[in-house]
Amino acid sequence: MDILKFKNFSWTYEGFNTPIIKKINLTIKKGEFVGMIGRVGAGRSSLCSSILGLIPHFYPGKFEGNIIVDGVDVETSSLSKLSTIVGLVFQSPTNQLSGAGTTVEEELAFGLENLGIQRHEIIKRVEEMVKLIGLEKFSSRNPFELSGGQQQKVAIASVLIMEPKILVMDEPTAQLDPLGTKLVFDLIKKLASKGITILLNTQNVDQLAEFADRIIIMDKGEIAADGDARSILTDITLLKKYGIEPSQLTTLSYKMKEKKLWNKPLCLTMKDAEEMVCEVMKR
Amino acid sequence: MTPIIKVNNLMFSYPNGVVALRNINLEINKGEIVAIIGHNGSGKTTLVKTFNGLLKPTSGEVLINGVSTKNENTAKLSKIVGYVFQNPDDQIFNNSVYNEVAFGPGNLNLKKEEINKRVLNALEIVGLEKDKKMHTLDLSLNKKKLVTIASIIAMNPEVIILDEPSSGQDHEGTVKIEALIKELQKNHTVIIISHDMNLVSKVASRVIVMWDSNLIFDGDKRTAFMNSDLLKKTDVSPPIITQLAQKIKGFRKDILTADEFIDEIIKLKK
Ligand SMILES: Nc1ncnc2c1ncn2[C@@H]1O[C@H](COP(=O)(O)OP(=O)(O)OP(=O)(O)O)[C@@H](O)[C@H]1O
Ligand SMILES: Nc1ncnc2c1ncn2[C@@H]1O[C@H](COP(=O)(O)OP(=O)(O)OP(=O)(O)O)[C@@H](O)[C@H]1O
Ligand SMILES: [Mg+2]
Ligand SMILES: [Mg+2]
Repeated sequence: MDILKFKNFSWTYEGFNTPIIKKINLTIKKGEFVGMIGRVGAGRSSLCSSILGLIPHFYPGKFEGNIIVDGVDVETSSLSKLSTIVGLVFQSPTNQLSGAGTTVEEELAFGLENLGIQRHEIIKRVEEMVKLIGLEKFSSRNPFELSGGQQQKVAIASVLIMEPKILVMDEPTAQLDPLGTKLVFDLIKKLASKGITILLNTQNVDQLAEFADRIIIMDKGEIAADGDARSILTDITLLKKYGIEPSQLTTLSYKMKEKKLWNKPLCLTMKDAEEMVCEVMKR
Repeated sequence: MTPIIKVNNLMFSYPNGVVALRNINLEINKGEIVAIIGHNGSGKTTLVKTFNGLLKPTSGEVLINGVSTKNENTAKLSKIVGYVFQNPDDQIFNNSVYNEVAFGPGNLNLKKEEINKRVLNALEIVGLEKDKKMHTLDLSLNKKKLVTIASIIAMNPEVIILDEPSSGQDHEGTVKIEALIKELQKNHTVIIISHDMNLVSKVASRVIVMWDSNLIFDGDKRTAFMNSDLLKKTDVSPPIITQLAQKIKGFRKDILTADEFIDEIIKLKK
């Protein structure tokens, strides 16, 4: 089932002459884990905003074509309706925090309260989330009195706790340490296993290699490439063309090929690389 | 020679009672490039905010060119120590890119032409000369970050501190930041805070590792990346190629690049 569909979608911010997103056609199936990558300014954040309907309902501008989210037409629907389907983790955590709560717990409960969920159920879910994301020690802290990474965790948790049908994340772990990143991805994997559709925008190729099934490269407002993760992320020529640095592991296998030390497909994951090195050392 | 930054028995607690720094001692000399790494909430940002007087020690002292920050005002200190915030939205408050970058130099008693020269120069260094008339709110995050860096460059302080400089950048942006840091280092002391170990391993030689409000390592980066107990305790992941080398029996544990890795293979196969 197609849960997300862009049909000839273009977007021009008010006051600008040229569209920032140009005639995009894209279909995402329910349960897919899609990664998105590209140069800065390619329009990735704008595309994320359009799925939640911030474009066009918050940002003014010219909207052309259609976006259909779980059967709902974004342009004619409303932010409040779309937010029951889509969860968006913003690039900047400061923009995410509602400021409605004076503690981390209250911030996390805020969205659930708006859904009219029962008090005891909210308390249970908040407690669980705080633990899973590693914020136990900070649950009664004011969200604005936290370190940058801790704030980013609160922002992510406030979206994940809603268990949206479509989860869109715009560079969610840019400020997180490895442990925090792992906790977040463990949570995301859990949601993915429940059939939630995920769109992850990141510059971290190793992260995409580990989690995404399908990769979209955006360039200058258009979709430059769309395919399965392994074939896209090991296509060094394609990546370089769009300003993307391959994984160090892919580069290693590429350089080994050049030196005639390796003649099989390029590596993408740690497992591939370990196998490659073992084989080369045995020879 | 007096170190440009000297920290003695520094302790800092926030008004809400959180103790963010415990008994920190360190010295940074003119011309050095130092990376501060460590887990989320370990105290990195708090530490550097004491260097330019944004935060004053709860006890102990921070000396800048031998003078304690205690009795200096932030305006005066910021001429010597420039801090680029982790989150650009916490730093930017002017409408246009030009005004944002001109704000700091505007407080330095400089002639108008000199201010203009500095602003244009700083914008050129970060590659934003075309965006000088843009509204700061319309910028994507990576450009906001570059604006905040330009506004510190325009102040021309002796020390430049960059908090997570590569977050929000793409590969080309990160490469540009690397080059920028190397360029800045010619005339400034540079301190970076980063979770990006590729960046750290490329630009810095000395790393300071923070863990739970304490400074637990201060020394050479290769020594740090090889110290598995330290890495485990502080949850720092070295670059992925270093991780690979550490998994392979008999390999050097401090490999940082693909080329070093291949040299090691060739050496061991001989
Ligand atoms: N609110 C806005 N008003 C006007 N222009 C905007 C606005 N937000 C973004 N833009 C412009 O739209 C273009 C695409 O920005 P967008 O943030 O979508 O790109 P991106 O691929 O996410 O880049 P980044 O990695 O820097 O976040 C940029 O040129 C940006 O300056
Ligand atoms: N304004 C504040 N008020 C109270 N406590 C704070 C404030 N800012 C940070 N803290 C706390 O101080 C400790 C150190 O925070 P700091 O921002 O220095 O960490 P950091 O190492 O920079 O982390 P990150 O990698 O997440 O940016 C953390 O426990 C944090 O919760
Ligand atoms: Mg973006
Ligand atoms: Mg910080």
